[in-house]
Amino acid sequence: MNRLQVIHAHRSRGHKVLAVLPIHYPKEILTAFDILAVELWGPPGPPRGPDAGRIQSSVCAIVRNALAFISAGGVDAVDGLLFPHTCDSIQGLATVVRDFGSWSGPVFQFIHARGEDRPSARRFVEAELKSLAAELATFTGRSLDGERLRDAIRIHRNIDRLRATLLDQRSRLAMTDPELYRLLRQGEFLWPADHLAELEAAAAGLAPAPVQQGLPLLVSGIVPEPMSVLDALAGAGAWIAADDYAAVGRRVTRHHPTSLDDPFATLVDLYFAAPPCPTRQSNQTARADRLEQLLDASGALGALLHTVKFCEPELFDLPVLRRRLLERGVPVLQLETELERELSGQAVTRIEAFVEMLGAIAARGAR
Amino acid sequence: MISRRLRYELAGRAVGPLLAALRRRRGTSRLAARDDGPFGPPLESTRRLKELMGIYYYQGRFADGAVPVAWVTSGFPVEILRAHGFYCVYPENHAALCAARRLGPQLSEVAEAAGYSRDLCAYARMDIGSVLSGDTPVGRIPKPDLVAACSNICQTVVYWFRAVADHLGVPFVLVDTPFVYGDFQPHGLAFVAEQLEELAQTAARIARRPAREVDIERVVELAWRASQEWGACLEEGRHRPSPWTAFDHFIHMAPIVALRGTQGCLDYYRELHAELSERVRGGIGGVVPERHRLLWDNIAIWYRLRDLSRLFADDGFAFVCATYSSAWAQSWDGFDPAHRVHSTAAMLSGVLLNRDLANRLALMKGLVRDFSVDGVVLHSDRSCKPYSVGQYDLKDALQRELGVRVVVLEADHADSRAYSAEQIETRAHAFMESF
Repeated sequence: MNRLQVIHAHRSRGHKVLAVLPIHYPKEILTAFDILAVELWGPPGPPRGPDAGRIQSSVCAIVRNALAFISAGGVDAVDGLLFPHTCDSIQGLATVVRDFGSWSGPVFQFIHARGEDRPSARRFVEAELKSLAAELATFTGRSLDGERLRDAIRIHRNIDRLRATLLDQRSRLAMTDPELYRLLRQGEFLWPADHLAELEAAAAGLAPAPVQQGLPLLVSGIVPEPMSVLDALAGAGAWIAADDYAAVGRRVTRHHPTSLDDPFATLVDLYFAAPPCPTRQSNQTARADRLEQLLDASGALGALLHTVKFCEPELFDLPVLRRRLLERGVPVLQLETELERELSGQAVTRIEAFVEMLGAIAARGAR
Repeated sequence: MISRRLRYELAGRAVGPLLAALRRRRGTSRLAARDDGPFGPPLESTRRLKELMGIYYYQGRFADGAVPVAWVTSGFPVEILRAHGFYCVYPENHAALCAARRLGPQLSEVAEAAGYSRDLCAYARMDIGSVLSGDTPVGRIPKPDLVAACSNICQTVVYWFRAVADHLGVPFVLVDTPFVYGDFQPHGLAFVAEQLEELAQTAARIARRPAREVDIERVVELAWRASQEWGACLEEGRHRPSPWTAFDHFIHMAPIVALRGTQGCLDYYRELHAELSERVRGGIGGVVPERHRLLWDNIAIWYRLRDLSRLFADDGFAFVCATYSSAWAQSWDGFDPAHRVHSTAAMLSGVLLNRDLANRLALMKGLVRDFSVDGVVLHSDRSCKPYSVGQYDLKDALQRELGVRVVVLEADHADSRAYSAEQIETRAHAFMESF
């Protein structure tokens, strides 16, 4: 089913649907209210309406495309919008949409606590989670049932566990990267139980030994768009052994608290246990450390730092990440793509040359 | 340590003022001649401004090792640090100074060579370029013991200041101010208030002493009073003709940004206010003749202040107010010394860029009304996303609801490579001709 079919099916059961802007948000709370989250990453490609021009062309295309899409009625099939406070541009979009009449339905925000894990930040996040839950209770006309929230946490814990398995055991998975990423990104709009079933089916297909052929790579960035990046990598003879895309691997929390006695306390623990991401808690050192851990665990031979143009949170991390990887002797390809356009021939050539170089290094190492 | 402290105190109290006095006597601190353009006589206070800022930067050369040093963002609650004896450096103010001296491309290229994208804020690139190269037009910037950011002006400063702290190997502290949609959220204010307490502890640890309550009260009082004086200076722009312009604000706002909480800052704005009042009484305008009155939105284009000022003034257009310069006065509205921590939290959270566009539109409409503005110039600033996103909607709303003429000028506040003089002039002329 495509997004629109999923939305209609969910609404036909009497439940609400929210369009959610990137990236991080407490999906468990939405699930507990039977709210379907359908993520709005632009959408990619050319703007689907004239209103992209209401925002400067030097602003990230996710934001410009989202405004065009919302203003052109692209989200009219949903009941409300949720804007996580991801960056200055998405925060700006939230107020443009709310204050200048692009959307007449309910608008919700989820504001992150920047900075380190500290008691004050934990108290704020807990209050923010409860505030969102209270707003959604009004929105749905239902009170939040603690047991339903625990169930939602369990479902998303299982989703995280399976996503981690598929990413960590990637070498034993007989899927191409485009197939795997399509599967993982189905979670951006499927009802969690349905997504869980798909992930379980995929995990059941894990081979007992590695099946991936080619050169293993680490990728880091915001979102694998255009998706043809994955085709280009596969065409050049590489496969993604370790993932640090904010839209994919950086959303997989591996350290789940065991106690569910106080579900909001659990959500706070989950929030701070998530992988480092500049859109949440900015800590370049922690992020570079994580990339090194991913390299160690995956055996990736090189790193692709894939940025979306004008993405400020990501761009500030790049010099540090690049330096740390190069100091470790890891070859790095820095690739900037535009959400509105397909991958250029020039970019494909750069990917091919990079993979070719990795192949030569690997061959020398083998000799 | 003692000799360093002595040198620092001497630099600020004796040598700096002495050098300034010598410059004054030699006439090297002459005011920029404006008699070649359609301007009123230059503000006498500019001389004092140069001395004040000169002494500030001069004393800074001797600060590290003498007193604790912090690099802070313009929206940071610097009063807490000052009460602990910190010397505070403002990288944004320094970057603006570098940009005004046309050093933007040179410093940016250093940062870009180190991997910082040209799509990042030019202030950040210039500051990082200055850190990496050691180049600065002020002689020397003291090395910090603490790098401190407040997210109330943007999230960019969080990434930028953390990168600088990591590079210099010094602690980084953040005061995070949750964005305010509509009304303040109690848990948001509580979070900010808690962080102010945390900041006081960090400051005490680095300064190796807690601040005395009396010192905190004094610094806060000075900052509050200075903000009120700055606000009173801006209010003089309501008069017709306005005794000064927004381009003057951009120059004279340096102390309210960089010296807030000091006696020198308060004294300076009292002096400036007195001069502006005198000009109002004498009917002296910043632009002569003042035919139309404009509002400026967004950060100044530092490297083109004089050109832009002249471009508009030649046709009698005077910028009588600006959202940018107003921000340092409005943020203290509602401050209550009896509830210092809570109202500081509200003050920090309530700054222009930390609130929604409905609030910004209301502010702009108020300025248009109160300052009898005929037209609005929106500087769409490539470097500043939080200030620029939404400007096209603000333009439509101002035109529709107030009937004022509005133009958007695309530029960058510090990187002159993003400035097209011909395009700006063409748009500005077309805008002025529409009156």
